Amino acid sequence: MAVDLVVGLLGIAALGHAAFSTVQYRNILKVTEEAFLWPPFYVIIEICISLVLCFWAALRVPGQFLPVLPDLEEDRLAQLTENVDFMTFNHRGRIFPLKIDEGLNLND
Amino acid sequence: MESAATRSHFEKLESKVDEGVGNVIEWLALVRRFKLRRSEKVTTHGCALLRDSSLRRKLGSEVWTVYEQVAIAAMDCQCLDVSKMCIEVLIAKFPNSARVGRLEGMLYEAKGQWQQAETKYQTLLELQPSDAFAYKRKVAIAKAQGNLGAAIEALKQYLDTFMADQEAWRELAEIYIALQKYSQAAFCYEELILMETANATWHLMYAEVQYTLGGLENLRIARKYYASAIKLSAGKNLRSLYGLCMCSAVLSQTKGRAKDEEGTELQSLASSVIMKKYKEKCPNKARLVTSFLEKQKL
Repeated sequence: MAVDLVVGLLGIAALGHAAFSTVQYRNILKVTEEAFLWPPFYVIIEICISLVLCFWAALRVPGQFLPVLPDLEEDRLAQLTENVDFMTFNHRGRIFPLKIDEGLNLND
Repeated sequence: MESAATRSHFEKLESKVDEGVGNVIEWLALVRRFKLRRSEKVTTHGCALLRDSSLRRKLGSEVWTVYEQVAIAAMDCQCLDVSKMCIEVLIAKFPNSARVGRLEGMLYEAKGQWQQAETKYQTLLELQPSDAFAYKRKVAIAKAQGNLGAAIEALKQYLDTFMADQEAWRELAEIYIALQKYSQAAFCYEELILMETANATWHLMYAEVQYTLGGLENLRIARKYYASAIKLSAGKNLRSLYGLCMCSAVLSQTKGRAKDEEGTELQSLASSVIMKKYKEKCPNKARLVTSFLEKQKL
């Protein structure tokens, strides 16, 4: 986890460095009065590397992937909920009330 | 709705709680989360928890939810004294609360005082017309009195406003099935399939309703939905496998000589899966099942 976070920070740092290098490169171009067509090759490589690193961190840092397929064993629905919002109390258990000891005080 | 993994965790915890060593607070929270109806256990364990003032302090603000849970569970067990005590504690803490008002209404229901319960929910609805729970309880009152027609009317009225409520659609479907109004029940299950396509149970229930309706066209639909239920449950749902066998058997009988290859193939596949399951889990009944399935194929 910590390693993955460091990888992500490295990726962001590389991205920042690439931006900084591009700005510097453009300043040099202004001095030499050449037109800006592409950022230098090493900047493009740096951006690609930072993309990969950030991807890695974004996939690993937030945690494990959860299963989404309905037919996986660990994700399969085992049982529906009982419809408790519509529950009624006049069932046969009504005749046999639960014995709870008398004199109980729930809020002393 | 819960998955197999969480289910097994819950069952382990429950057996520990029954032995008196498990974490009752976590168990009660899981019962609430999964919306289970474990009324007797909730009442006994919940009362023991609430009686202990140090444990009550440990619960923090969750204690009020536990009071509510125990109150409802106690009504279900007809321990009206316990639930009345819980409700009194809640009223003292939250006077004028609609959520506590519901509990009072439910207590009237548990006593069988339908008229008072009805008036209670009516006043709650006048104060807060979007109170879905009060509507649901009115349906439950009609159902408890055995007046299924009124329950259907109330549910229809409720579903006009709260169309996305799956539990209400399911309840409506079950009431229609109880009244043998299968085509209306099929409509409800269609809604449920639309809302939750990945849940194999709705496909299975829809297929069963269509199978009950009968007729060539409905049986074909039933077979399709049995097949999709099998697909969504990865072939682990025996009820849908059996359903597919029965459905294909009836279809091949009604068609007479013009047999469809697809149907018989499906049937033999499904029955082979059932056989495999029985040989794994229950070998002494395997012979019985084999003879039953062979009869279906003829």
